[in-house]
Amino acid sequence: MSYLEYNAKYVPTGPRKILYLNWALVILLTAVASAGFLMLYSVAGGSAEPWMDAQMKRFAVGMVAMVIVGMIPIWFWRNVAALGYVVALVLLVMVEFFGEVGMGAQRWIDIGPLRLQPSELMKIALVMILAAYYDWLPMNKVSRPIWVLLPVAIILIPTALVLKQPDLGTSLLLLMGGGAIMWLAGVHWAYFLTVISAGVGVIVAVFQSRGTSWQLLKDYQFRRIDTFLDPAADPLGAGYHITQAKIALGSGGWTGRGFMQGTQSRLNFLPEKHTDFIFTTLAEEFGFVGAFALLVLYALIIGFCVASALRNRDRFASLLTLGIAVTFFLFFAVNMAMVMGLAPVVGVPLPLVSYGGSAMLILLLGFGLVQSAHVHRPR
Amino acid sequence: MIRTPLRPLARILRARANGENPSEIEAENRRQRHEQMRDRARNRAESRLLVLGLCFFAAFGAIGLRMGAIAATEPEEPRTAAVGNPIIGQRADILDRNGRILATNFDTHALYAQPPQMIDPRGAADGLAAIFPELDADELYEDFTGTRKFLWIRRQISPEQMQAVHDIGDPGLLFGPREMRLYPNGSIAAHILGGAGYGREGVDSAEVIGVAGVERQFDDYLRDPANEGEPLELSIDLTIQAALERVLQGGMMLMNAKGASAVLMDVHTGEIIAMASLPDFDPNNRPRPLTEGDQSDSPLFNRNVQGLYELGSTFKIFTVAQSMELGLTNPSTMIDTTMPLRVGGFPINDFHYYGPQLSVTDVIVKSSNVGTARIAMEIGAERQQDFLRDLGLMDPTTVEMVEASTGRPIYPQTWREVNTVTISYGHGLSTSPLHLASAYATIANGGTRVAPTLLVQDGPQRGERVISPEVADAAVDMLRQVVVRGTASFGEVAGYEVAGKTGTAEKPNPRGGGYMDDKVIATFASLFPASNPQYVLVVSLDEPTETSGDEPRRTAGWTAVPVAAEIIRRVAPLLGLRPQIEPATVTGVTLTSN
Repeated sequence: MSYLEYNAKYVPTGPRKILYLNWALVILLTAVASAGFLMLYSVAGGSAEPWMDAQMKRFAVGMVAMVIVGMIPIWFWRNVAALGYVVALVLLVMVEFFGEVGMGAQRWIDIGPLRLQPSELMKIALVMILAAYYDWLPMNKVSRPIWVLLPVAIILIPTALVLKQPDLGTSLLLLMGGGAIMWLAGVHWAYFLTVISAGVGVIVAVFQSRGTSWQLLKDYQFRRIDTFLDPAADPLGAGYHITQAKIALGSGGWTGRGFMQGTQSRLNFLPEKHTDFIFTTLAEEFGFVGAFALLVLYALIIGFCVASALRNRDRFASLLTLGIAVTFFLFFAVNMAMVMGLAPVVGVPLPLVSYGGSAMLILLLGFGLVQSAHVHRPR
Repeated sequence: MIRTPLRPLARILRARANGENPSEIEAENRRQRHEQMRDRARNRAESRLLVLGLCFFAAFGAIGLRMGAIAATEPEEPRTAAVGNPIIGQRADILDRNGRILATNFDTHALYAQPPQMIDPRGAADGLAAIFPELDADELYEDFTGTRKFLWIRRQISPEQMQAVHDIGDPGLLFGPREMRLYPNGSIAAHILGGAGYGREGVDSAEVIGVAGVERQFDDYLRDPANEGEPLELSIDLTIQAALERVLQGGMMLMNAKGASAVLMDVHTGEIIAMASLPDFDPNNRPRPLTEGDQSDSPLFNRNVQGLYELGSTFKIFTVAQSMELGLTNPSTMIDTTMPLRVGGFPINDFHYYGPQLSVTDVIVKSSNVGTARIAMEIGAERQQDFLRDLGLMDPTTVEMVEASTGRPIYPQTWREVNTVTISYGHGLSTSPLHLASAYATIANGGTRVAPTLLVQDGPQRGERVISPEVADAAVDMLRQVVVRGTASFGEVAGYEVAGKTGTAEKPNPRGGGYMDDKVIATFASLFPASNPQYVLVVSLDEPTETSGDEPRRTAGWTAVPVAAEIIRRVAPLLGLRPQIEPATVTGVTLTSN
């Protein structure tokens, strides 16, 4: 249904909107972020400097931004979705372009707060444009090949650009997030089945070809995959991160060593201890109980988003809400899986907990869109 | 206008009969259908969401279970080693053909500061300024006391510097490991190696990536951890490379040239034994690309591979070899050399007037443009193009350097008779010196195509045959005559039977049409020893001027040839060639000319 059919009287206006925000979500987000503050305090050896302070300031800015985004009508966001996507795409291309010119110059330096990359922006922009697309597209055309190809192109172009940077983690998030929205929009399951079985087929073929005359990869590429699959074979090289993370998790046990009592992360065994691998600190200090509690908090955030989406009769708003939820889910699922050695190390931060500015800001802006959808839902 | 019938028809008709408004029924019906569709869509969306939810749940479950499983394991004791040296595998070394190191790695440290943890910013700033003279104590102090939480001080420091910083003893000054690419031989083979730089940089490690030359070409191989301990072996010989660079540098200065290049190649295997381009640079400290001016004057520019020049009369031997291959001439065929020869309105002239007729051998020996032009007109444009393509002079070389693909020869799109004529003596077709070297290698090795390579080969390349062995021998004889009694008389190196051809090409005027008569590219393409050719050496000087005589001389015979001869004198013994005693032949006074 279109917003023209709204009974606009029931949509709150002006400052009263603030009462209609999804406050449960706000509280959950704050709770997760607070866990992050504690960890950053602990990792810095019991000091607000250098990480916790900055992170708290950023979170405050992000929350304000979330509320502002949430108060802006959802139909405005639908109208700028295409523009946002184009802008994000242009920025991505520019990164590519300037990266090419400065031969050997770094494309980004991850020191301090500055790591703003267009690929982060693209995560939200992609969700927005896909939601707007399926809102615009009549239901009976959703599974026609031509109308399936278009969103596939919308997803693959930024994915390819990000992959070329190279940033495997983010491109996987884009691919899986976009695919999930297409799934939710009701694209026929046969398409998904085809793509998944083709993917599995290619992987099987590659492995089958090893050692035969039609070998598809070079020997050294296979060896690289081996290191991925079995980090223990090379504990001081490629497997270093994961081995150390597992030690940290294991030493936490069921109830943990207690706040500020972690050794593994405090003694610098773990690189990236305050960013991608912060979960290990939490697991070591608060044990299984603490880690599982964080998992539950994440699950609750997803749950509230889904509940909000289900109550929303507007297709754009509900798809957008679900899309943000999926993106959020992928973030922490990939990070946790990576830390626990269930997935290769691809460099995805733990959302709202890891130290870092732009990932947090982008996520909170995303939740701002969820709030906007919630506030302005047709009643 | 097409009216769609109102539906459902039966009820509409009944309503009409009862005098009710049919549009209301239609509207109600439409609403019903709409709701049905929405419900269907909603059901589907919910089932889709359910499936996705199950996936989520499975992921949650897997993570939770794994967490439990790990929490239940006995904690292992933390390992003590390696406070952050997570560098993943080292970049493979690059060696020369005898196993001497051309590029290796060196563990250095990066120095950074975390001002919040600093105890004595003033003392730290002063201490650092004393160790690193280029740092300013006051600026450092400002940084340390400002709002910054992190700053790099130096990307690479030596062990002595590291110790000195350590002695300052401030906890806010920290070190991160930094793998550094080291080229122990400095600028030797700079253009071949290219250089490396840092990609992504973090505190704990930095990614080393090749930025040019073989470092870039073989980046994947060199970076692959699986290749640790399996260095990349090049065909370069470090000793010969060093000698060649030294002599070339001296020759360039002596001849007042602004640039020079030389490439030494094995005629059978195509291996490049040495290759130098001047001015050069130190890959340990690779300069930035020029921001203004001509990139081809940059020290980074590899003249042998990237440089495209009209290489002048060195091409004449190709024309003559083809005409012999086609049976149009033999070495003693007499060619009309009356001048001027007019082709398509252009006059073709020789440096001197050599008389009405010359034998084919003398056309080469005296380097007659007119004679070569007449031979080329017999061959024709099409056959000429095919032959040059067979020699590899129309396509980029396949040498293993990223820069090779940019060395795409420039030739006229429409190949008129006048182009055939000028290209027959090396004008109007621009190629790199490496192209020329591999084409000469074809003549020297008995007539088979050779692709230049930087990797050690198992044996001779068996490329496709371009000219017959007899023609190749005859061509080598002519080239030998050029040195014995022709334009390259300074090229004689006792015992090594140098053969070759000079070429002096005026440089095109960069400000539009025509050529500049005081700026030339002087080239000597040589092979030795003539009785059993093993190596090709191509030496090019950019804008040379030899000033020992009354007036400045620029022709290759006076500039490139003596430099090439000196190189051969130095490197031939290193290559393991023994001087051969030739029966003495009387050589008269020879004029040098183009």
